[in-house]
Amino acid sequence: MLYRTAGQFKTTYEADQALFPVRQDAILLGVILLCAWVIFPLTASEFAFQTLLIPVLIYSLAALGLNILTGYAGQLSLGTAAFMGVGAYACYKLITLMPWMNPIVAILLSGVFSAGVGVAFGIPSLRIKGFYLAIATLAAQFFLVWLFEKWAWLYNYNASGAIQVPNLEMFGVYVAGPQASSIVQYYVVLFIVCLLTMLCINLTRGTLGRTWKATRDMDIAAELIGINLMRSKLTAFAISSYIVGVAGALFVFMWRGAAEPNLFDIPLSFRILFIAIIGGLGSIMGNYLGAILIVGLPVVLNLLPNALGISIDSALVEHLNIMIVGSLIVFFLIVEPHGLAQLWRLIREKMILWPFPH
Amino acid sequence: MKHFTKLAVAAVVAGVTAGAAMAQELYTPNLSYRTGPFAATGIPLMNGQADYMTMLNERDGGIGGAKINFEECETGYSTEKGVECYEKTKGQAIVTQPWSTGITLQVLPKTNVDEIPILASGYGFSPMMDGETFQWAFNTPAGYWDGADMIIQYLESQGSLEGKKIVHLHLDHPFGKEPLPVLEKLAEEKGFELVPIPVGLKEMQNQSAQWLQIRRERPDYVIMWGWGAMNAGAITEAVKTKFPMENFIGVWWAGHDADLKIVGEDGKGYKSISWSFPNAEAPVIADIKKYVVDAGLTKSNPEEMEGVFYNRGIIISAILAEGIRKAQEEYGTAEIDASQLRWGLENIDMTEARIDELGLTGMVPPFKTSCSDHTGKSGGWMLEWDGEKFVKASDHLVPNTEGYADLIASSAAEYAEANQPWPVNENCGG
Repeated sequence: MLYRTAGQFKTTYEADQALFPVRQDAILLGVILLCAWVIFPLTASEFAFQTLLIPVLIYSLAALGLNILTGYAGQLSLGTAAFMGVGAYACYKLITLMPWMNPIVAILLSGVFSAGVGVAFGIPSLRIKGFYLAIATLAAQFFLVWLFEKWAWLYNYNASGAIQVPNLEMFGVYVAGPQASSIVQYYVVLFIVCLLTMLCINLTRGTLGRTWKATRDMDIAAELIGINLMRSKLTAFAISSYIVGVAGALFVFMWRGAAEPNLFDIPLSFRILFIAIIGGLGSIMGNYLGAILIVGLPVVLNLLPNALGISIDSALVEHLNIMIVGSLIVFFLIVEPHGLAQLWRLIREKMILWPFPH
Repeated sequence: MKHFTKLAVAAVVAGVTAGAAMAQELYTPNLSYRTGPFAATGIPLMNGQADYMTMLNERDGGIGGAKINFEECETGYSTEKGVECYEKTKGQAIVTQPWSTGITLQVLPKTNVDEIPILASGYGFSPMMDGETFQWAFNTPAGYWDGADMIIQYLESQGSLEGKKIVHLHLDHPFGKEPLPVLEKLAEEKGFELVPIPVGLKEMQNQSAQWLQIRRERPDYVIMWGWGAMNAGAITEAVKTKFPMENFIGVWWAGHDADLKIVGEDGKGYKSISWSFPNAEAPVIADIKKYVVDAGLTKSNPEEMEGVFYNRGIIISAILAEGIRKAQEEYGTAEIDASQLRWGLENIDMTEARIDELGLTGMVPPFKTSCSDHTGKSGGWMLEWDGEKFVKASDHLVPNTEGYADLIASSAAEYAEANQPWPVNENCGG
């Protein structure tokens, strides 16, 4: 009833192949986009921008990048954070070497560098698979973080070894640095995230996406039907690292404002992997659901006791928080091992059939 | 997705309205870290800070009639959570205490826009002592560069450093690299050889490689810029390799009693520079016992209360309280705001008499802040581990700030340049 598809006739192939063949899906997306572009920015406080809206979007984008590689092309990677670091450092160098450059252009360009590095570290994927490949990408994780620490040129010989985001202007408005207002940064992040999401949706539905899926499901079979495995794997590495790199640049330039090499260490890689797995591998929407759960929920849980007027020690809240989020992760994975996206898919199916289940 | 976002928005709205309801008190949030990898050192510091404020609330009804709301926001020493806490608390806050070099670096530019003073006692970015450039940041009463200078001064008092070799064992992190410019400068001036040996964050607990290198280098002294688990690792490793403990000196964050208790008698002679000292006889301790401990308002325990870190927490809160008091006197109101507190923190005058009056006898050296000097140059004492506890091993040392004044000026100018537009306070005039 809620999702009644009866009466929605498709008379052309285009209509059947459309992004949203079911009208309700398109309406739902419209509502979400309306919220993201108009309602949230109008109602959100500074705190909500800085701790919920901006980080959730950036983490979603990073997970999306990882998902292209792991979820669609089936190549396990543990080096996500390092590739984010490449994006961030590349963006920092671009901005400091060419201060006249438009910040958005710089952010989008910095992904190119991490795509290059990603391909270099993706070469072993031609020979090794699965866990073995995960270990090879782990090498990227160690090597790149070490490089960020040791190569002083990368951080402009700063005494503290950290990179600081300068104030960047675009058409007379500050978009990065401490002078930038949160709403401007939010819109920049939202614009880039929407753009790349759209790109990914189309890529994964097209030839390239089907090639990746074939590689993921059974590479020998894929090779037998004429898929060039090398091209398939390396494009997956390139596009995935590009998106991850852009997410890294956004992470530092549009949100954190400063970064030390250590930020791009394994815990961040794992965090993004969790988002991708809990959200659902091989799903675009899953990344957003996963990021909301992993990034947004702890913030909300932290606020709850205060909002309910219960005074609990903040250290205790933090411990409870870890326990609650941890058990929720276990719960969701037991209820739906394929992630939140699959959970939503099932709910949607049920709603289409409701009230007459078979 | 809609469900979650709705929940999130509802919670945020509720949080904000709940925050607005409290007033008639001074809100001085503390970004604490009682959880996470550094909790062992964080807990005594946070307890000391909180107990002093509770004592003021219980004994005097706050400061100048206004109660102190010393709320903690837990960061677990994570920069990400630190920023979250800063954003959450900055609305009514008159001060922020970031409690990690990473968080300090991150909120430093933000506080300049939000106009909230940062109190980072003895940590953070060393050039913050330049009050003209860093209007809103305070590393009262001493910065890392002061610490490095005092350590070298102390070593010099043991004999000329000409031709000596000094190892700088440090955490490979902004915090550990902080004193390097001053140490390099001093090495050139005094003619000693400086060998920086970094310890990666991942091998903090296992420093056998570093100590093997130290053994090979045969240094005369080892200076340590360590934190948390790294200190215990270094101290046990030094004992194992039989490095003479009296030639091993740490910065103030490397002088935690619990780290030394592990080696006990073997650690005898280990030193740590400090701008605070635990004095169990001080009147303030008696007051804390009476109003906080006996009333059951503390989270601390008798053993912890004798330690260096708990007492340092007391001093940090006392500095903040003194700043608040000064501001209240100047502006004639109990409910001061952030910019008034900045004036207060810029005009702290901790003379010996004032220290005694506050009941902090012997716990902190006298110091005086000004508009252009946000550190106060308290100097400090060399503390020595006698096998059971830390004792004073030197007279009051004062850093020779003149020696690196140009370094401060150039680093501050560089920071301001890189963060254009960066408003500076030109009315200070030194």
